[in-house]
Amino acid sequence: MILRYDGTFAGFLSAVALARDRSVQPESITDREPDQQGLFTTIEEVATDRDRAGELYALIRSTLPPGALQTLRYAFHASDPDRGTLLFHYLMLGLATGPRFNSMLAHEAVMPVWKLARAVGREAHRYKGLVRFQQLEGDVWYAAMEPDHRILPLIAPHFAARFADQRWIIHDPRRGEAVVFDPARRKWAETFLEVTAPLPLTAGEELFRDLWQRYFDRLAIEERRNPKLQRQNLPLKHRRHLPEFDGK
Amino acid sequence: MPELTLAEKLEILADGAKYDVSCASSGSSRRNKGGIGNGAQCGICHSWTADGRCVSLLKILLTNACIYDCAYCVNRRSNDTRRVMLTPAEVAELTIGFYRRNAIEGLFLSTGVVKDPDHTMELLIEATRILREEHRFNGYIHVKVVPGADLLLVERLGRLADRVSVNMELPSRESLKLLAPDKSREAIVAPMKRVGELIVQTKEERKVSRKIPPFAPAGQSTQLIIGASGESDLQIVSLAAGLYGQLAMKRVYYSAFIPVNRDERLPAVIGTPPLVREHRLYQADWLMRYYGFAAGELLDEERPNLDLALDPKAGWALRNLHLFPVEVNRAPLELLLRVPGIGVRSAQRIVGARRGGHLSLEDLARLGVVMKRARYFITARGRFAADLAPDAAGLRARLTERTLPRPRWSQPSLFDGAGTMDLQSTITGEL
Ligand code: SF4
Repeated sequence: MILRYDGTFAGFLSAVALARDRSVQPESITDREPDQQGLFTTIEEVATDRDRAGELYALIRSTLPPGALQTLRYAFHASDPDRGTLLFHYLMLGLATGPRFNSMLAHEAVMPVWKLARAVGREAHRYKGLVRFQQLEGDVWYAAMEPDHRILPLIAPHFAARFADQRWIIHDPRRGEAVVFDPARRKWAETFLEVTAPLPLTAGEELFRDLWQRYFDRLAIEERRNPKLQRQNLPLKHRRHLPEFDGK
Repeated sequence: MPELTLAEKLEILADGAKYDVSCASSGSSRRNKGGIGNGAQCGICHSWTADGRCVSLLKILLTNACIYDCAYCVNRRSNDTRRVMLTPAEVAELTIGFYRRNAIEGLFLSTGVVKDPDHTMELLIEATRILREEHRFNGYIHVKVVPGADLLLVERLGRLADRVSVNMELPSRESLKLLAPDKSREAIVAPMKRVGELIVQTKEERKVSRKIPPFAPAGQSTQLIIGASGESDLQIVSLAAGLYGQLAMKRVYYSAFIPVNRDERLPAVIGTPPLVREHRLYQADWLMRYYGFAAGELLDEERPNLDLALDPKAGWALRNLHLFPVEVNRAPLELLLRVPGIGVRSAQRIVGARRGGHLSLEDLARLGVVMKRARYFITARGRFAADLAPDAAGLRARLTERTLPRPRWSQPSLFDGAGTMDLQSTITGEL
């Protein structure tokens, strides 16, 4: 049996709750469109049940040690198609073992989830540096980025604390998602966003772009030139939205 | 000469500051108090330069003019270069402009000495004050202290900045006299001592009252130039140990000497700067700070220099083979940390994971242990991982990095095994 949920965390927890209620081991828990294999297995669409999800989450919170909760949250934002299934096994083991769960890193149900969480955590940390704002008319600061994982909600708190007096938007155009921050209320929110017209950049934006490019070009020490190391630290895919690599 | 634009000044002043290697912005936890910016506990890189270094701070000079004439410095008085200067307000404006775009973590401000040390310090303090008070900037600020400045000015600066540093540059009094004749050892050590005292004292006071403003909460650091003078690694590492131990230094940076001037007092450097030596010194430094090694365990009078072909931890293990192999299910953390191939994080993971059951050799790789190196030094459930226990000479051959480490710049987790080190063709000439 395959359980299909709507992609939200509540939807995922609803699927887990359903499997637990019926004591079944689903072959997979996914939010993707079914593929050919679907022909030979039954697919059950899980309706998101916020109450059931809330109950299960309360149980998870009181049973799993705090580190595991964080791992769960991060791994859920991975773009891995198997994440639902992996997290299901992870949760089942965690609920069965409780506080001892933290010392089971080497377990086959734990390690893959831990690795996913680590990959997501690393990408989120990396994007704290790679998000680059441009000032738009109307005093809005806009940044575009194209991460592998769905990290917007994971990095939003960092930017909310740091740029608390700026009206900013961080946009993931590939997924059509964005977080928007309102400095008056000090709150951020997720939203869908598509940019169709050219951005109305301010005059200062041009000046600072030029200043930054010139500054950046001066930084490298010729004797230590090492483009391979540069590429290893900053893969080409991350350079798209960085002004210092404009057109290079 | 026509007046230069802000962009042109920025280019010149960035050029003059880039040889200073301290780029890490970590260790500040300054909160955003109703303005803009905060400190991140672990460093954030915003880009990487063509030499592979992390860009984290706006690193500039206030001015590249200088009344002194240090042999190794691009900005020395006797060099015929164009001199420019930013106003404190311009420094603040550039910093805020880059910061709001999330291009930097903060400012690293250094300077040549104009007029006299005190006057120069006043300008640095003013730039910092404008940022903190007028722009309400709570991001990271690291400012250089001018050697010889009044200690009261040093104190004022430390109340505004996150980190202050006085560069030692040369490891001995003699080299300093030869290469930086205008700066005495005393002029460098006095502010370092004062900063160390104030850091300790303020921490105590703040335990009683949080109203007292912090003093350089991210600590003080210094930089040593490697290879411009004749000191041995033993001298350098012992000096670093003293700086960490006695002056509450947070970081010592090592910078391979890059000749920018022709000067007969300086060694003739052929080819590339001593990057491998620099890298080994960082490893030794790391071992002292995070792995519990003492300077005397890494080097002594008989062997005053680090082995370029072998990392210092492996070198120590080879000299102490009688302590190995250790059983990973029983060995205390301190001993696990001394096993080549086991880093701080994997050692901690082992200690955590073995509470849940005896670890096997297979578990270790999953916990991040680099088995290629560690297998000669450990057993798990009594099993030895290597096919044979080679003698010291055989082991040495196996642990020698056929591919040499590339120099790491920012916060390297050197022994953590992630990414085996490999040789940059540019530095093969070193071996
Ligand atoms: S005092 Fe500093 S800026 Fe001046 S010459 Fe010496 S090292 Fe260079």
